[in-house]
Amino acid sequence: MSELSTTSTQAPSHGHGGHGSSTGVDSRKLGMWTFIGSECLFFTALIATYLIYKPVNAAAENFQDPKDFLGIELTTLLATLLLASSLTMVLSLAAIRRNDLKGFQIWMLSTIALGLSFLGGQVYEFYHLHDIGLSLSSSLFGTTFFVLTGFHGTHVAIGVIWLLAVYIRALRGRYSAENDMDVELAGLYWHFVDLVWVVIFVLIYLI
Amino acid sequence: MAKTQEVVQHDHNGPASAHGHEESTRFYWVLGGILAVVTFAEVVIAEFGEAWFGIPYWFKFVSLIVLSIIKGALVVMYYMHLKGDKKIYQFVFVAPFCIAVSMGLIMLVLFSGHSGIAG
Repeated sequence: MSELSTTSTQAPSHGHGGHGSSTGVDSRKLGMWTFIGSECLFFTALIATYLIYKPVNAAAENFQDPKDFLGIELTTLLATLLLASSLTMVLSLAAIRRNDLKGFQIWMLSTIALGLSFLGGQVYEFYHLHDIGLSLSSSLFGTTFFVLTGFHGTHVAIGVIWLLAVYIRALRGRYSAENDMDVELAGLYWHFVDLVWVVIFVLIYLI
Repeated sequence: MAKTQEVVQHDHNGPASAHGHEESTRFYWVLGGILAVVTFAEVVIAEFGEAWFGIPYWFKFVSLIVLSIIKGALVVMYYMHLKGDKKIYQFVFVAPFCIAVSMGLIMLVLFSGHSGIAG
């Protein structure tokens, strides 16, 4: 039997619905970290593809750099929104660990609002770029740019839905200081989404 | 005010848990401030570094990469609480991350100058 077996009940983690293992490792958290690890590979493939074709795209006659049309202000705002949402997310987790449900609600709603604001900004960016003729099929640059930023935006949208589900469950009294794993898992996913934007922001919009 | 300074100490899996570090909400705010300052520095270097300070491109490139690594490391270590967490969690994240970065760099070296399937 593997040392990492998640079926044993010898040492279940408390308050997490019996998701512990013989090693004391929570199987859901292990699964989430593994998923995040696989997501690293996924996004690296997209980022590498974008960077490989960047010189080719930049040399093309019809190259349209989003920076030239949108400026750095919008993407800086988007980066700030996601960074701020990471702060509110970790504060909501800290609040539930103090059994401070009111604080949890405030910070979780803030996180959701910041996530929605980010999505709104990205939709604005996409519409604006589409207006100037840059789309998924307009050029190789358009393909690599929209696939990368679009997949990230999709992850943000999934994260917002996940956070909403956690918020609603919290209102029903599902979470407490002893039972906060759902909040932590949603937080891990959300921070990873922020982490990806840290990389995208620098490699695509700044360099 | 005292509430914001309350120490958050959480242990998911009993005494053996590797969550054994203490972080206050004030710490998270300070970290948020640091991340905001680093982001501001990134934008200043990228947008005005050459015009204002005469920074060469290679320096801009290296400094932006270093700053983004610092930001990413802070998020992973403290917001995601990987620092001090169980080794197995660290492994299942760090191992694929290292593979991903290595593969990305290898792909960049191997395929740089590739003109695409249409080219």
